[in-house]
Amino acid sequence: MRLNDALLGAILLGFAGWVWWMTTFFPAFPGQDYGPNLFPRILAGAIGVCGLLLILRGLRSRAPLVMLDGWTREPARLVSFLLIPGAALFYILVSDFLGFIPTAFLILLVLALWFRARLLVALPVAAGVTLTVHWFFSGLMRVPLPRGLMDPLL
Amino acid sequence: MDALIQAFGLVFDPVVLGVIAVSAVFGMFVGAMPGLTATMATALLVPVTFFMPPVPALGAIVTATAMAIFAGDIPAAMLRMPGTPASAAYADESYEMTKKGQLNLNMGVNLVFSVAGGLIGVAVLILAAPALAEVAINFSSFEYFWLACLGLTCAVFLTNADAVKGFLSLFFGLLLATVGIDPSAGFPRFTFGEVELMQGINFIATMIGMFAVSELLRGAISVRDAGHVVVQQVGDMFRGLGAIWRRYWANFLRGSAIGTVIGALPGAGADIAAWISYAVSKRFSKEPEKFGTGHVEGIVDSTSANNSALASAWIPALVFGIPGDSITAIVIGVLYMKNMNPGPTVFTENPQLIYSVFLIFILANLIMLPLGWAAIKSARQMLRTPRNLLLPCILLFCIVGSFAMTNSLYGVALMLVMGLFGWFLEEHGIPVAPLILGLVLGEMLEQTFVQSMIKADGHYLEFFARPIAGMLGAATLLIWAIMLGRGVLRSARR
Repeated sequence: MRLNDALLGAILLGFAGWVWWMTTFFPAFPGQDYGPNLFPRILAGAIGVCGLLLILRGLRSRAPLVMLDGWTREPARLVSFLLIPGAALFYILVSDFLGFIPTAFLILLVLALWFRARLLVALPVAAGVTLTVHWFFSGLMRVPLPRGLMDPLL
Repeated sequence: MDALIQAFGLVFDPVVLGVIAVSAVFGMFVGAMPGLTATMATALLVPVTFFMPPVPALGAIVTATAMAIFAGDIPAAMLRMPGTPASAAYADESYEMTKKGQLNLNMGVNLVFSVAGGLIGVAVLILAAPALAEVAINFSSFEYFWLACLGLTCAVFLTNADAVKGFLSLFFGLLLATVGIDPSAGFPRFTFGEVELMQGINFIATMIGMFAVSELLRGAISVRDAGHVVVQQVGDMFRGLGAIWRRYWANFLRGSAIGTVIGALPGAGADIAAWISYAVSKRFSKEPEKFGTGHVEGIVDSTSANNSALASAWIPALVFGIPGDSITAIVIGVLYMKNMNPGPTVFTENPQLIYSVFLIFILANLIMLPLGWAAIKSARQMLRTPRNLLLPCILLFCIVGSFAMTNSLYGVALMLVMGLFGWFLEEHGIPVAPLILGLVLGEMLEQTFVQSMIKADGHYLEFFARPIAGMLGAATLLIWAIMLGRGVLRSARR
């Protein structure tokens, strides 16, 4: 997916304005000329200038507003792409409830199967990798991975 | 001397050596797999090394990256797919050699000159870093401000990307660095009342998102139609190397020198070193017409250059706390986590740690020879690793790694957002490396800027009053002027 430079520039200009507006709520300290708002304001200004340059360039080039790559029209590839953020989102939403082991196992299994791994290969790999990662991070490095449903067993 | 003996004790400890061996194998594998980069290897290693003492943690990163930069040459020659961006400059040339039946020679050249180039970079690191540290001890906020500016500018100047987009990425990074408690007044900026954001944007989770998740997003699109990889077996790779040495020793020295200088420049690393030394090699070759047809000359230059750049990138990182490339940007984050704040004082306060890093670098380059040999010999099996299983596993490592950095889902959410953002940026031709450097250097840049502004008190010439600050400032302004001129010329020509 590719936005036209002019559209991208307009978004950036809006973003820069928003950042600047946020800095107006930063406190000023009497007797100190250079407060916490100085640096973010310089950056907002700089991003705004970049946005303006992109708008000028985009208006000259006359490219379509949004360009979609070929793969976005192939449902299978689109699903492959969306599964990556989907899996991370799934982990964020259910790992506390399900616990690390079932969540990780499901993510690995579903992704591997969708990517056309054979079930007989995917099952042991998903189980093995899940348990190894759990052993290493939870057991060895004491990372508090969520226990969830597995709590009574661990 | 005491410190050196101490360093030997720290490095030649069975646990540390074990960590080095495991990370070497890990680095070889990641480097040899197309689509997995040395930076990604580092970002994924950090959560693993998080709970280790400094020496094994740094040892793991040094070894894994050194191996990965070499291993990237293997699929470049066999499949015409560079394993890491640092091998991209000469991937076509290597593949042409393979087509001419010179795969053995190509692998031998890549291995031996990578090791030799790496050792030259390490030698320069060992000689230059302590000497520079003695100069740097007198630096004030003005020098550090200009150094940070120069480093960040180089990061934009030396990439192939368009300057506006490079700077845009940089400003985003600097802006992200302002999230959290502000260093001068203690006011929470851009935190939206979230406690997790008070300490700032978690750097490692951001890195994992930008360098690993965005790569997975690109890889996922094509993983279902991955065909079978056919790779030929490598035979005796050391035959004929003597003749190459005798013929191209000057190229080796030139490539290593260019690599070392580019690596030491803040903001530019191994991939740019390889591109530039390949171009220089072609420009000054007696037979430039042979370049691109499977000619070994340019490969000697650039394969030496990328490994020497890897070591010399540590010079500005250790001495000034300014990263030489995106790998050392992560290293700086690790140094802060280990309470070994980079800067000239680390050379006097913790010399044994610095010597340990030097020793590990030498060790890593030496074990690269046997391990690299083994990696080349087993490349057939390694490259057959099914991507449809590898990709989900890497995603899981990303999730767990980000979780471990914050011990909460905030890390995972940050990784996800940054992964999508990084992918979006690259789709628009906006490079992510300047953003990462900006994120690392943001706090230092702001602090030295505000301090210098207060000291100068409205007299802006103060920024150039001290000799070194003046030189650095003039260099920075010169590069800005060049970039501006280039931009104006380009838009006038259109």
